[in-house]
Amino acid sequence: MRILFLLAILAGGLFYTYYAFNHLAFLSQTGRLGPGFFPRIVGSGIVFLTLISVVQELLRMRATPEGITLRFDNFSPGALFIILMGVGYLVALRFLDAVPATILFLFATLSVINRGRYLQNVLVSVLVPVAIYILFRKFLNASMPQGLLGLPF
Amino acid sequence: MDIFSDLLMGMSVALSPVNILYLVVGALVGMTVGVIPGFGPAAGIALLLPVTFGMDPISAVVMLSAIYYGAMYGGTITAILLNTPGDSGTVASTFDGYPLAQKGRAGPALVMQAVASFTGGTVGVILITLLAPLFSQVTRSFGPPEYFLLAMMGILTLVVMIGGNWRLGLISALIGFALGTVGVDLETGRSRYTFGSAELIGGINFIPVAIGLFGLGELFYAFYRGIHKVDSSDMITYDRKNNFWPKAQDFIETRFTLVRGSLLGFVIGVIPGAGAAIASLVAYSVEKSLSRNPERFGKGEMAGLVAPEAANNGASSGAMIPLLTLGLPGSASTAILLAAFLMWGLRPGPLLMTQNPEFAWGLIASMYFGNMALLTISIFAIPVFVMILKIPYRVLAPVVLVICTLGTFSVNSSHIEIYIMLAAGVVGFMMRLYGFSPAAVVLALVLGPLAEESLRQTLTISRGSFGIFLDRQASVWIIVITIVLVVVLPMIQLIGRRAREGKSTT
Repeated sequence: MRILFLLAILAGGLFYTYYAFNHLAFLSQTGRLGPGFFPRIVGSGIVFLTLISVVQELLRMRATPEGITLRFDNFSPGALFIILMGVGYLVALRFLDAVPATILFLFATLSVINRGRYLQNVLVSVLVPVAIYILFRKFLNASMPQGLLGLPF
Repeated sequence: MDIFSDLLMGMSVALSPVNILYLVVGALVGMTVGVIPGFGPAAGIALLLPVTFGMDPISAVVMLSAIYYGAMYGGTITAILLNTPGDSGTVASTFDGYPLAQKGRAGPALVMQAVASFTGGTVGVILITLLAPLFSQVTRSFGPPEYFLLAMMGILTLVVMIGGNWRLGLISALIGFALGTVGVDLETGRSRYTFGSAELIGGINFIPVAIGLFGLGELFYAFYRGIHKVDSSDMITYDRKNNFWPKAQDFIETRFTLVRGSLLGFVIGVIPGAGAAIASLVAYSVEKSLSRNPERFGKGEMAGLVAPEAANNGASSGAMIPLLTLGLPGSASTAILLAAFLMWGLRPGPLLMTQNPEFAWGLIASMYFGNMALLTISIFAIPVFVMILKIPYRVLAPVVLVICTLGTFSVNSSHIEIYIMLAAGVVGFMMRLYGFSPAAVVLALVLGPLAEESLRQTLTISRGSFGIFLDRQASVWIIVITIVLVVVLPMIQLIGRRAREGKSTT
């Protein structure tokens, strides 16, 4: 997985550098250093250092008994679960308002990771969003996401 | 005498009832974010920043600063009771803090860490009071070449001192620089990497990136390590009624440790990029090497807890010197604090203490009271923080994710920013997993625009010649200090380690 992460950074770095060299001028019209000067240095640095890291990682992988193979099996299901629930929460915020989306997210997440404690899960899922609503809207006058469905809270 | 009259004026600002209230709230919040595993001062300040929008600027900065140094106090509670540092600055506190708790001395350890933190913090503030005006005078002669070199020094020191793979640290810093170039180039007005998006014209906002990298990234990493499956309440061994207070012997044995740790921590904290983690580790090593009983270290020696605690709080104070007098943050937390200052229209730098004395001295004075408040809270509110610690992480984590999301949204009411926050969270988790440095990303993101602007100005002044860096005395000094910090010291460390390894094998 580390090699995939490095390759993703390399791809991003290559794109960043390509853009810097092809779309941003090195000098401005007045002859001073232009908008492309710094990004060219930064992009070239990312590409150069990441390339070395990729090569080193490939050499390290080749020295292991498994050789250069991609392994996904050691990726934690716990981390994947909470990331996916986070994505689901942002989708819910887009459609529902903050309070119902938060109740839904907390209850769904706690039902899986805090299994069997129904009363605790229901209390946390309801009381936390209500407390946050009161703190943000009543005390701090801060804005909270309003969903496309336009619910009244 | 000027210093004392300025300090008195600062005290009159800091002692207003509203500022005292915000100071205590900030200290409490700081301790709480320090107690929550993986939720350090950087995420705490970033998250609380939107909450301060309706406040007076000085009150807001007093509160955010209290969160910053309060988190150091809180992080040690988990280090002592759970063997889990709340923040990287409290890693060294686990070495003897947890063994002390296992020996049934959790109470004395918690009280002594509060005393050590108070001493480190207070010695640090006294030194800020004396040295900040001097630093301001020295740095008034600094121009673009010095600012560029100081920014580089901060990033390189962070990358080298943090340990691990320096190449991955440098890549992290370059990613931060790259993110800092998104938006309109202020010199030419040309859009860079915005791809027609109106949301990106102003650049990438650091708040969603910081909350994502530090708040969510750490949360995902905690799930990866399976912390949500552990019931921490069984691990806590703490008795409020019996054996709570330290003995007189604890104070007597550690009186010089307190002073040494505080001074060492402050000096290391002043160096951009070094920070509390390095300060506490160095203080621990120094104390162990000076001790008559080094074999007791790691087995519950009070000096092994007091030294890193005094040092990490001294370092937090020390880091305020480059922040206030140069506008240069040395860590992710101070980078976010700087962004908060800028958001309030307060530009730290050599002229801050003369142009905005109420703010500068009000903040410094508030740190004296902040440390007193934290000492009191640390000792008398320990049961409250133990209660927070007993909440299972599996219940706390989804609530933290909700607070991060809604806190980020409230900054600009932007759905795009909460998507950026989640993406930064996933990237932060991957970086943590594969040895990159999220702290270097945030520091470079904040310092990037300053570094680019000062480098372009420098090369314009010198007509494209890099020789200007060697023509100016201040620049040469900064280059020499940087070389010592990032090349000479690590080499001495490496040679020492090899020599020790050689001895142990023969």
